[in-house]
Amino acid sequence: MELLKLENVTFSYNKDRVILDNINILAGPGENIGLIGANGAGKTTLLKLLVGLLYGYGGRISVSGIEVIGKNYAEIRKRIGYVFQDSDSQLFMTTVYEDIAFGPRNYGLSETEVKRSVSKAMELTGCSHLKDRQIHKLSGGEKKIAAIATVLAMDPQIIIMDEPSNSLDPKNRRNLINVLNSLGCTKLIASHDLDMIWDTCERVILLSNGKILADGPAKEVLSDERLLTGNSLELPLSAKLAKFL
Amino acid sequence: MTDKISSAMYDLHHINALASRDQWMNNKHPLVKLIITVFYIAVTVSFDKYDLPGLFAMFVYPLAGFILSEISFADTLKRIRLVLPFVLLLGILNPFLDRHVIMLGGFAVRGGSISMITLILKCIFTVLAAYLLVATTPLERICYALQMLHVPEIMITQIMLMYRYIFLLINEVGRISQAYALRAPGQKGINIKAWGPLVGQLLLRTIDRGTLVYESMLLRGYSGNYDYLRERDIIKLSDLGYLAFWTALILIMRLVPVITLIGQVWNF
Repeated sequence: MELLKLENVTFSYNKDRVILDNINILAGPGENIGLIGANGAGKTTLLKLLVGLLYGYGGRISVSGIEVIGKNYAEIRKRIGYVFQDSDSQLFMTTVYEDIAFGPRNYGLSETEVKRSVSKAMELTGCSHLKDRQIHKLSGGEKKIAAIATVLAMDPQIIIMDEPSNSLDPKNRRNLINVLNSLGCTKLIASHDLDMIWDTCERVILLSNGKILADGPAKEVLSDERLLTGNSLELPLSAKLAKFL
Repeated sequence: MTDKISSAMYDLHHINALASRDQWMNNKHPLVKLIITVFYIAVTVSFDKYDLPGLFAMFVYPLAGFILSEISFADTLKRIRLVLPFVLLLGILNPFLDRHVIMLGGFAVRGGSISMITLILKCIFTVLAAYLLVATTPLERICYALQMLHVPEIMITQIMLMYRYIFLLINEVGRISQAYALRAPGQKGINIKAWGPLVGQLLLRTIDRGTLVYESMLLRGYSGNYDYLRERDIIKLSDLGYLAFWTALILIMRLVPVITLIGQVWNF
């Protein structure tokens, strides 16, 4: 059964300009999907529709068979974890522990269960040492990892991420890739960092002007130089190397 | 200017850090601390404008609170220095407008001077009491206490979001003024012509970021309800004892002229 199903999804902020046009996506459990496209292609809009941060779309979106509509938002948000592009906007509590515990507490878990969820999320992301650190004292890389942990603590079936490697240095970026590869849940990663997509996803969807232009194996889509350059993207270094070798 | 903004940000984070400590005073039930604070503030402002000795006795609560919570009193006074000019401004004309002569400790003093001092003390004491509450209680727990008092949910959400907005606002002010300073070297402050667009930008940017923070809260199950704290924040017998002790003491200090009595005993 599909975990995530988008059928003929369309969306526009006003009648003049269609942001998403007839989007169809099926994603199964454990799939890692890269969502690529130029600025303004509709990536963030698509991600926001999945969790109900934007509404009033045409077509049908469902997660584990539950339709993404107002009355189901709480259930949907329990199943989908959304990691924002800007970690500063995602983290708002005082300490890392309190921030990670925010979600599980809101979903009514007992304090013992909250502790267990937080420990598990911190272990998965390797940020246990940050437990009592104050959020504002974390580096950009640490904030990103903590932001992922806040989402993992709710034990989601799907994680969606908006530009996760944005403004990370190479070491933190590599650490992020390792963390992402160690997670077993379904992931939908929107990014311009095609090398990261190459390293983390086995399937890639290319969006262009709100339409799906390509949907296929990552290595195949990311090696198509003409397709990428035609859509304001560049061949990733890994693809260049693979060609060269 | 950016130094001042960094300092304001530091102060805010410092209060946050104090509130999240695992300390005796921090572990008291938020409802108990909230009730004592509100009661203390109400009693403090109820003193007559010439009752300086009576008001002095009210210093016991903030003093004891700062000792028990191990918060530096001197640091706190430095932090609240921003409100002092406003307080002074409120009472500065009293000595000129109120020329009554009253007897205080056997001395004839102009009533206006006494009322100015009581006004300043009232402001300082109430600010100290409020500071003590926020420095020993994370905002979520204060919101939970408000929820227990059946304060409308919309008001609690407003308080919570306003608190988060202060951080965003100061952060954005810092970024904008830094960007301005880098492109206007040697200029003191911000040129009046630039104020319009800068304030506009500030508003738009903080609304954007505020929306993101709110969305992040919603995505993690926030519904304006703090019931999840019920398991952690149980009113214990010691909390009730703490509440009874302080309400009784505050009442005694309001009804009995403690300082005058001590003075009489001293003279005797």
